[in-house]
Amino acid sequence: MPIFFRLKIFPAILALSALMTGFSLPVAAEDFNLAGLVRRVEQQYTGQSSISRVEMDVVTGHWERHLTMESWSLGRERFLIRILSPAKEKGVATLKVEREVWNFLPKVDRVIRIPPSMMGGAWMGSHITNDDLVKANHIDEDYHFTLLAETAEQWTIEGIPRPDAPVIWGKIIYQVRKEPLVPIQIEYYDEEGVLVRRILFDDVQTIGERTVPLRMTVLPLEKPDEKTVMHYRDLQFDVELSEDFFSLAELKRRR
Amino acid sequence: MALIELKTVSKIYTLGSQEVIAVKDFSLQLEKGEFCVLAGPSGSGKTTLLNLIGCLDQPSAGEVWLEGRNVATVPAKELAAIRLNKIGFIFQSYNLIPVLTAAENAEFTLMLQGMDKKVRREKVRRWFVDLGLEGLEERKPSDLSGGQQQRVAIARAMASDPAVILADEPTANLDSQTSEELLAVMQRLNEERGATFVFSSHDPLVIAHGKRVVRLVDGHLESDQCVS
Amino acid sequence: MLYQLALRNIWRNRRRTLLTLSAMVVSSALLILSLGIFSGMLYDMLASATEQYYGHMVISAKGYQDDRDMFLNFSLTTPLEQQLERKEILGYSPRLRGFGLLSHDQESAPGEILGVKPALERGVTGLADALTAGSYLETGDRNGVVLGSGLARRLKVVPGDELVFVTQAADGSVGNDLLEVRGIFTTGDVGHDNALALVPLPWLQNVIALPERIHEIAVRTDQPLNVAALAREFRARLPSGLEILDWGEMLPEMREVVASYDVSRLIIVIILYIATALGILNTFFMSVMERTREFGVLMAIGMKPGQVRRMVLLETFFMGSLALVCGVLLGLGLSLYMAEVGIDLSGTLTPITYAGGTILPRLHAVIEPGNVYIPASCLLVISLLAGFLPANRAARMQPVVAIRED
Ligand SMILES: Nc1ncnc2c1ncn2[C@@H]1O[C@H](COP(=O)(O)OP(=O)(O)OP(=O)(O)O)[C@@H](O)[C@H]1O
Ligand SMILES: [Mg+2]
Repeated sequence: MPIFFRLKIFPAILALSALMTGFSLPVAAEDFNLAGLVRRVEQQYTGQSSISRVEMDVVTGHWERHLTMESWSLGRERFLIRILSPAKEKGVATLKVEREVWNFLPKVDRVIRIPPSMMGGAWMGSHITNDDLVKANHIDEDYHFTLLAETAEQWTIEGIPRPDAPVIWGKIIYQVRKEPLVPIQIEYYDEEGVLVRRILFDDVQTIGERTVPLRMTVLPLEKPDEKTVMHYRDLQFDVELSEDFFSLAELKRRR
Repeated sequence: MALIELKTVSKIYTLGSQEVIAVKDFSLQLEKGEFCVLAGPSGSGKTTLLNLIGCLDQPSAGEVWLEGRNVATVPAKELAAIRLNKIGFIFQSYNLIPVLTAAENAEFTLMLQGMDKKVRREKVRRWFVDLGLEGLEERKPSDLSGGQQQRVAIARAMASDPAVILADEPTANLDSQTSEELLAVMQRLNEERGATFVFSSHDPLVIAHGKRVVRLVDGHLESDQCVS
Repeated sequence: MLYQLALRNIWRNRRRTLLTLSAMVVSSALLILSLGIFSGMLYDMLASATEQYYGHMVISAKGYQDDRDMFLNFSLTTPLEQQLERKEILGYSPRLRGFGLLSHDQESAPGEILGVKPALERGVTGLADALTAGSYLETGDRNGVVLGSGLARRLKVVPGDELVFVTQAADGSVGNDLLEVRGIFTTGDVGHDNALALVPLPWLQNVIALPERIHEIAVRTDQPLNVAALAREFRARLPSGLEILDWGEMLPEMREVVASYDVSRLIIVIILYIATALGILNTFFMSVMERTREFGVLMAIGMKPGQVRRMVLLETFFMGSLALVCGVLLGLGLSLYMAEVGIDLSGTLTPITYAGGTILPRLHAVIEPGNVYIPASCLLVISLLAGFLPANRAARMQPVVAIRED
């Protein structure tokens, strides 16, 4: 039995990051190249910052939770998210800087570093793990992509892990709409080739110059009744944030 | 019907390829109440003959009859019972059981007969009185003199009320005086109780006590005289 | 009289008899001792698993023990408590289990937290006796924790330090609270020493949002090796939705080790006794051959071959019994010493964890009926077997031949 619920969906954070940093990117037909596409998508985040308010609904067989959180991000290596409600958990916050993740627990007024062995634990009781916060952004390096199908509207891209890549999925299949360039669905297969997870994207909105799907639904397929829905509100891009902001002091700040 | 009848009995041992004729065409009838001595020099076949009478050994030829029964027809398993109930043995070297006391030695055959402990105690006690062994009941054979040991052996042989008592050179290990005493005891038992004795000896002094003297030479019957 | 005769015959050659006897006594005593030590290792192994963690039997919601799903919980009801009040049950401990992150200062490590009632838990597991620092939880302690030495080392805590426990509670929230280290235990079982922590039951019920609920009741019985029968009896009367597992079901590998012990014990006994048997055989042959003439006389005066055989067998039987009594007494004495005192080997050896249990680096005997009666009865059987050949030899003697022998 794993320490926390083991629901590995680190690419969800990729999507999360994508949502926060924008996903809209015109691709020139002549240099169309899948790895390049993913890489350019990844590079698109670099130097970008965001502030948002997120509503997260988690439904499991045992409980339903509705959380509101505020979050800040800088590039793909800095990330801070803090719970606003429910009141019981207000102030609980997570800070990610590069490969480290900390949690702040206001009730006991302590910061806890998540050890590498606990990265598989569920994050904030959702279907997202701590691991996702750390490894998500390396997906373009760890997978090899091929185009499975192309229609006038969308691409279907298959990602297969590189032989020595430290990944947990056996296969990832993206469905990406061409215009505007947004993900529609990502499917995750385990090492036996069984489809275990699906993430759906909708509520596509244009924020500033970017067009992004504001809602992401994570469906752990082995538990058909469970899901985590993240809905972005008040999403702002390219705000003033420095690296100093992503500090333990900021993590501990209560509002 | 004779108590014991040997009908042209022979006993031939084979030593390698050599045949040793211990007893040859020997016939003898013994009646109840006899006091018979088998006399003969060493190697004349006395022991062999006593073994045949005592059902310890089977003849190579001829028949041994005991109380009208051909011993050869008795199943091997019953032979032990015949020896137990019909025959008493006295050995040259006493052959008491060293770990048992004098009384226990005397009781042993009674025990084998399944006699009740108390009854056999009492019986043995009376025999000990009779044989002048009083007070020696609890002694171990090693603590008894040869004469005493041999008297215990007589008690053992007599106690089971056998039809015949066979004694192979009973006095050979005793000095002449003790031998006399022992022979006197045997004689008394023969006279008072009518016990049948067959004993062997090469000692003329002993042979002189026999009422019937059967002389053996080289396994042959040389003479058979009754002395009265 | 046959008995007396046999008995006296034994003492005829005192020196030889004593030598043979002492060989028999020493071999059986050492066998009993070594089996006792073997059992001790087995018990240590079993005890490390059951008496430091699982208990001999565990009552839990059906399926809980498979993957320890925190939602498979139940409450301890009065009828259930009454059912547990019986003489075979030495103690029972209701427990709630949580998995989460323990943290102190910069350090954090995953841990398995058992919420217990300290007094009841002491009746089931011996962790209180395995403390290497600090003290055990006291009844009424609000937020104390007793944790494994490996875990304590990793968290860099000593008694008196503060710990944070954070987990996902049963309502999905982030359950977290402060603990204060009371004591540190070392069991030798790496798994427990590196991950296990005991906290007061109400504290954990509150943190993981399962008030009044428990995950299991660990039970300690007086007959750990015969627990299956008791478990069966309980099974029939448990409230629906609950199941009872004995240690054999929880630790099937351990059960196999224990089962194979019965076989290996027999093999050891047989191997060791083959040597003893040869010695006995030799002695009895000698004693029979020496008494050839005597057997001849006995048979001449009317003893049946069967009686002769019986007498010799009686002799061996008496000797076997005597050796058995002395061997058992000596063996028990040595075992008792090793049970009470034992030999500590922790200076030269480290604990070995195998099949879910830990073999401690010590020589320590456990006195178990099988360790005594198996060597004892084998000794008797073997002395009778060793007596059988000479007895037959004696019975088959020809009285004439035997008497003539000098
Ligand atoms: N088992 C045997 N095998 C071979 N020969 C034997 C055996 N027993 C006896 N003999 C021989 O048979 C003959 C008669 O022996 P037996 O012992 O009957 O004589 P004995 O008259 O009793 O002599 P002793 O006075 O020496 O005891 C002897 O020549 C003896 O060597
Ligand atoms: Mg002779």
